[in-house]
Amino acid sequence: MSRKTDPRNETIDCAPSKPAAPVKEIAFEKQRGISQVEVRTGFAQVHVSKLSGDIHSQRLNVLKAVREAAVSVDFLKLTPSGLSFVISENNSSDIEKALGPLNYHCTIRKDRCVVLIHAVNMRDEEGLTAQVVQKAIASGAIVDHISDMHDRMLIVADKKFTSTLQELFQEETHGR
Amino acid sequence: MAVKPRIKVMKFGGTSVATHEARVQSALKVISAKEQGFAPVVVVSAIGRKGAPYATDTLINMLRDIDPTVEPDLRELDLLVACGEILSSVIFAHTLKTLGHPAMAFRGGQAGIRTDGVYGNARVVGINPVSLFKACEKGAIPVVCGFQGVYVAGDGAPGGELTTLGRGGSDTTASAVGAAMQADAVEIFTDVDGVKTADPDSVPNAPTLRKVTYDEVAEIAHLGAKVVHPRAAEIAMNFDIPLWVKSTFTDDEGTEIVRRDRFPGRRVTGVTHTGKLVYLQFDLKEASEEHRRVLETRIFETMAHYGFNLFMMNLSPSGTGFAVPRTQFAALAGILDSLVVPVDGQMFLLQIGSNPSKDVENQLRLLAPTGNVKSIVAELTEGCTMVSLVGHEYMQQPGVFFEVLTTLHDAQIPVLQTTDSDFSLSVLVPESESNRTVRLLHEQFRLADIV
Repeated sequence: MSRKTDPRNETIDCAPSKPAAPVKEIAFEKQRGISQVEVRTGFAQVHVSKLSGDIHSQRLNVLKAVREAAVSVDFLKLTPSGLSFVISENNSSDIEKALGPLNYHCTIRKDRCVVLIHAVNMRDEEGLTAQVVQKAIASGAIVDHISDMHDRMLIVADKKFTSTLQELFQEETHGR
Repeated sequence: MAVKPRIKVMKFGGTSVATHEARVQSALKVISAKEQGFAPVVVVSAIGRKGAPYATDTLINMLRDIDPTVEPDLRELDLLVACGEILSSVIFAHTLKTLGHPAMAFRGGQAGIRTDGVYGNARVVGINPVSLFKACEKGAIPVVCGFQGVYVAGDGAPGGELTTLGRGGSDTTASAVGAAMQADAVEIFTDVDGVKTADPDSVPNAPTLRKVTYDEVAEIAHLGAKVVHPRAAEIAMNFDIPLWVKSTFTDDEGTEIVRRDRFPGRRVTGVTHTGKLVYLQFDLKEASEEHRRVLETRIFETMAHYGFNLFMMNLSPSGTGFAVPRTQFAALAGILDSLVVPVDGQMFLLQIGSNPSKDVENQLRLLAPTGNVKSIVAELTEGCTMVSLVGHEYMQQPGVFFEVLTTLHDAQIPVLQTTDSDFSLSVLVPESESNRTVRLLHEQFRLADIV
């Protein structure tokens, strides 16, 4: 095979012709930072406290009773003397009935909301999660819980702070 | 009218281009696609992983080694690290050529990839793939540098500025090129068969998932297992481009990443674990509500300012807690330990760890004459890790927490804290129990039977 025809030695000119072919550019990635604020309402926070002795087993007793009541639990946090979690407010009486026989110290705070702060790939934006928490706390809202996902943070707070939090983060959105 | 070629974008990661043998193996996959009638477009990462001579970290260290106290300029750093992919693309293109297939290497800018102007973490704003199409039309295989693009400033500076895309950059390049060229498929080739139900180091026979949704794969990546970057998955989903994760070194069919509406169904998808974490729990019981608000604000403001990534955040009546990667802990302790926060004439002194450091003792001595200093102690739990159950429409079912905590309680694995979201449920456990926790949850939720 002659050197000239060997495909291994071909040179290809792929520079754009002039003028460049009209290929439309497309926007690909979402802008960094907060893109959307969403609110979910109708939640209650359950706090079981003052457990003593084998706290781990007692926490499991609580969760077992909740499961038997067929109630879904979110935002579970272990506290030094018990646990807390969030339920649908509609299930408050089911929880009261389920936990009553256990005789644990239990409080149910109704009128909780979940404010969702959407921001794509949050972990790649250094300090963004801390910034959201800082702003939520500094706003004066009493924040019960914080959780995060790949594209959003979830803030549980008293319903009376809904508009404060919503307006605060709405101002931060790049689409405002 | 010319028929649009059937484009297949094939991205090869560091291990797939690390050695001549690996590159030939990868090149044969490309040639096979071409023989099947596709017009392959290759995207490559830098050669090898951390420690390899031309890997991104090695290149960065060439600057850091000059004087570790002088931070490299981000613009210069981007110019330097982009060399890894340029080298890789030229070598890969030449490998294809030696196998008898014309190929041509393209820098990000030459491939038409435009980004915003954030050095080190740029986002793709547009792609004009005219040169790539032209190469395909001429029968050549374009080999595009992953991880890089070009920023053209508003003043029309000639040539533009080279930028890099940050974490997951090459995956993102592959998806974006696929979207711009309306590819039939984007395939991410790596050294595993696809997205697995658990890290094979923890569960050696963890099966490969055949289909996962974008949300599942993004959450899996968010919680520690980075097989494909969420940015890449997001672009593929938004433009409805089929995205696959496959192995360079086997013929396994791999994992297809699909839109949520194409995979309705409830299931546990997998168990992930993060690297080593340190958990800090600030005791704020003694602070009044207003003082507590100021303290928490200051702590989180400082974390945000220095760009720390926080995990397992926990606000409870007794205090505030969060975990940070162990690699960031020394820097965090250096900033927060002995920090004085004045509130209404009261001085709060932050102490990281139950034993006061010399800095804390010095501050206490200096502030003692004021007579109103209170220490806020952050108890440390070192050597822990976060194990997460990821699922699709599963976490909201009653009893999931009970099942997880009972499984771990029965195995005498202490759970230090929990957190959850729509797609995941995580437990903080001692690092020494990491693999056992993953195995137990994998077994409890019958993930071996998922495929």
